[in-house]
Amino acid sequence: MNEKKLQAKDFITIGIFTALLFVVEFACGMLGFIHPYIVASYVVMIPIVGSIPMMLFYTKIEKFGMLSIMSVLLAIIMFVTGMGYLGAPLIIAAGVIADLIAKSGGYKSFRETVISYGVFCLWICANYFPVVVSADSYRKNLIDVGYSVEYCDNLFRAINSKTIAVLLVLCFVFGCVGALIGKAIVKKHFEKAGIV
Amino acid sequence: MSLKLDPRTKLYMIFVVSAVVMMSATTPFLWAVRIIMIPIFLLIMEKHYAAAFRFLIFYGTALLLTFKFLSENSEGFLSAFLVGYCGIIVQFMPAMITAWYVVRTTKIGEFVCAMQKMHIPDGITISLAVVMRFFPTIKEEYTAIRDAMKMRGIMLGGGNAAGMIEYRLIPLLFSCVNIGDELSAAAVTRGLGGKVKRTSVQELKMKAADYLLMLLFTAVLVVFVVSKYIR
Amino acid sequence: MMQTIAQINNVTHRYKGAAENSLDGVSLTIKKGETLLLCGASGSGKTSVIRLLNGLIPHYYHGDMTGDVTVNGLDIVETQLYELAGVVGTVFQNPRSQFFSVDTDGEIVFGPENIGLAPKEINARKEIITKQMNLDSLLGRSLFELSGGEKQRIACASEAALLPEIILLDEPSSNLDMEAIKMLHEIICDWKRQGKTIIISEHRLWYLNDIADRVVYMDNGRIAHEWNAKDFTMLSDDETRQLGLHPTSINERYLALLSDKDDTGKCYIDIADGILLKDFYFSYHHKPYILRKNKFSAADGDSLSLCIPKLMLPKGKVTAVIGSNGTGKSTFLRCICGLEKDCTGVIVSKGKEYRKRQRIGFSYMVMQDVNHQLFTDSVEKELLLSMKVKDVKRCHEILDTLGLLEFKDTHPMALSGGQKQRVAIASAIAAGAKLLLFDEPTSGLDFAHMEKVGELLRQLADSGSTVLVSTHDPEFIEQCCDYTLRIKKGRLFSFEERNS
Repeated sequence: MNEKKLQAKDFITIGIFTALLFVVEFACGMLGFIHPYIVASYVVMIPIVGSIPMMLFYTKIEKFGMLSIMSVLLAIIMFVTGMGYLGAPLIIAAGVIADLIAKSGGYKSFRETVISYGVFCLWICANYFPVVVSADSYRKNLIDVGYSVEYCDNLFRAINSKTIAVLLVLCFVFGCVGALIGKAIVKKHFEKAGIV
Repeated sequence: MSLKLDPRTKLYMIFVVSAVVMMSATTPFLWAVRIIMIPIFLLIMEKHYAAAFRFLIFYGTALLLTFKFLSENSEGFLSAFLVGYCGIIVQFMPAMITAWYVVRTTKIGEFVCAMQKMHIPDGITISLAVVMRFFPTIKEEYTAIRDAMKMRGIMLGGGNAAGMIEYRLIPLLFSCVNIGDELSAAAVTRGLGGKVKRTSVQELKMKAADYLLMLLFTAVLVVFVVSKYIR
Repeated sequence: MMQTIAQINNVTHRYKGAAENSLDGVSLTIKKGETLLLCGASGSGKTSVIRLLNGLIPHYYHGDMTGDVTVNGLDIVETQLYELAGVVGTVFQNPRSQFFSVDTDGEIVFGPENIGLAPKEINARKEIITKQMNLDSLLGRSLFELSGGEKQRIACASEAALLPEIILLDEPSSNLDMEAIKMLHEIICDWKRQGKTIIISEHRLWYLNDIADRVVYMDNGRIAHEWNAKDFTMLSDDETRQLGLHPTSINERYLALLSDKDDTGKCYIDIADGILLKDFYFSYHHKPYILRKNKFSAADGDSLSLCIPKLMLPKGKVTAVIGSNGTGKSTFLRCICGLEKDCTGVIVSKGKEYRKRQRIGFSYMVMQDVNHQLFTDSVEKELLLSMKVKDVKRCHEILDTLGLLEFKDTHPMALSGGQKQRVAIASAIAAGAKLLLFDEPTSGLDFAHMEKVGELLRQLADSGSTVLVSTHDPEFIEQCCDYTLRIKKGRLFSFEERNS
């Protein structure tokens, strides 16, 4: 009966991969300041780069809860590192749904894993929440603060309440694409080396 | 002897700092409030005077740049570039320094105890403790991998972007998985994950300094909100 | 008649996914209060025996297992791991990965907190252990800044805080220097005096001479020999060599090689055809600066963690770099190969100067943890990555000389530790490096593997490369090094030819 519950080893695995995923996210996030369009391209970059640790993580998942806890941790870390707390509900929702999907595939099915990771990637959109929730005042603020109109226009052309839907879809799509790439890399390295 | 704070105070500090950072400041007065907020004093408390000074200079320059040179008309790639960097410094550095301070000064034991007191489930607490334990490990491993890459002359991935990511990430994952395995083996042999409720030797008590800081931070938050939205 | 505290009864075990049995019909009875030494080559099953006793087999490392294990009256198969926490304590091999906390205090109390002791009791235990083990100077520090030896002491303290009856040590000295091993020896002696049952799996045998009551030799998952302490120490070096073991004692000559002498020897050897190192100054504590870093020079004096104005390395020879941990050996090697870019040293060879980045092409370091140095998904690609001009034929030649050709399509991470090391060496050769640096290549190796590394280094030197190797193993220096270079506090202390 103990097999169903998460054990210390699982919690440690979650911790390690959360740390890794966050480092990936952070490294990609840093690029975003170079040009506003890059901010929008998070939806491509993070799912694909993040897929490598995540697909390895998926091979270690056997029980329900690991993805959900990971999303809670991500929400907490986003908060602690000063990236805001508005996105927390989205992050956690994405995590739990991804967990449920993966569970329906018994955590082993190829198709469910891909879809599950696609859903999980929606958490990335939490980065855009401050922009979407308070788009108008945020824009005004940015201009007041001294950001150029050009930057803001670029930013809002790329990210607004209409495009957020597009971004969510993109996140999902590139999540799935990323999952395929990540799977391939796990196969190329970790399976070949006999780790998984 | 540096100041010892309750982790809960620290969490509150982060909350306030990130809230203030998110509500963009518009007037010089608000900027001033923000600068006070900015944990320069945290750096000083940790005796990183040079870092505090450097940060002050960066921050000042960034402000000056944003106010003076980057007007609504500034265009072109260079200004977008500058805006980008000023953005990093102004928007994220304060929160990141606070986070750095918290991670640096909080012992995992303390943190875990604070989490327990806030009635957060053990599973999340343990995972989060591992996350905190693992950031320095990732840094160590990554430094070693980067050294190895330098020696091989493959910092740029042998010419392709995929290589740049692959050569960094794959060895990192291998080491982290290994370390993780050994870490959990060592942890479970010392009783982690048992049925008994974990105890904690840390005694967490809110002291005068905690209340004072909380008050200070609340005051700053109030001043900020009032002068931004109500005045 | 002594009481039996642990019993392994005809256990056969195979790790999940493994092709061969890790243990093959092992039976072992351990008496209360005895100190047992497990020796044997890598992969002979020593670690598996340790894992049987602490329950990691079958609860953590899954696989097929038959037979039964009883520890302190508990049937291991039926007992959960956390129930064993106060009964069996384990000190692991790698000091880097076995701690859970970030700080020393938290680590010592980690176990007692897990089993839910009252805070008062935990603090009392911590105090006693701190006193017993002299840990005052280590309290309140970050584990990430401790040396390997200090980390290992904290690991011991963390186990001791659970007051286990049985203490297991799995190759605890692998990453330690002479001083730290002596410290470890003290700790184990203390435990022995307290009447604990101690089981040590180890390659280095000399420091356990006066501790072990009984020695078990494992080979291929079986118990092949058993000696009592007296018979074991009588084994000659030839006999131990045949068994693939390190010598049971290191004689005076060996000790003199590694002990911290105070007299300065000759520091400069004038060789016509050598590699000259000039102006190697470096410190980890850079001078306070605002925006621009300052370069180091001899004028910085005592604050330098590395200060080597001039050194002539003999070409085509193997030079051992010795000195205790944290005294600047690794820093020295890192500076030579140009990894510390704040170090301004110059390498001169055949009248050509190599500065900064050029040093990287000229020299190549094989790191202590070779896992960091392997990037691709096959051994062949690994070598090609190092070559400026991809030459598959030469790549195969190099692999052939190192005996790796049959693995050319294998993933480097699937290889054994020794093979990985050879892959790293192969890529150094492929990169065309003339000066090869090795950072403690022998730590944690059994005798047979250590000898292999020695032969390989000789082979490299004979084919014209200059080899610099840092090590703590006197047997190894004896076997393959032509010169010894002693470093103390980042200064050249002596540089001598070994009169063989």
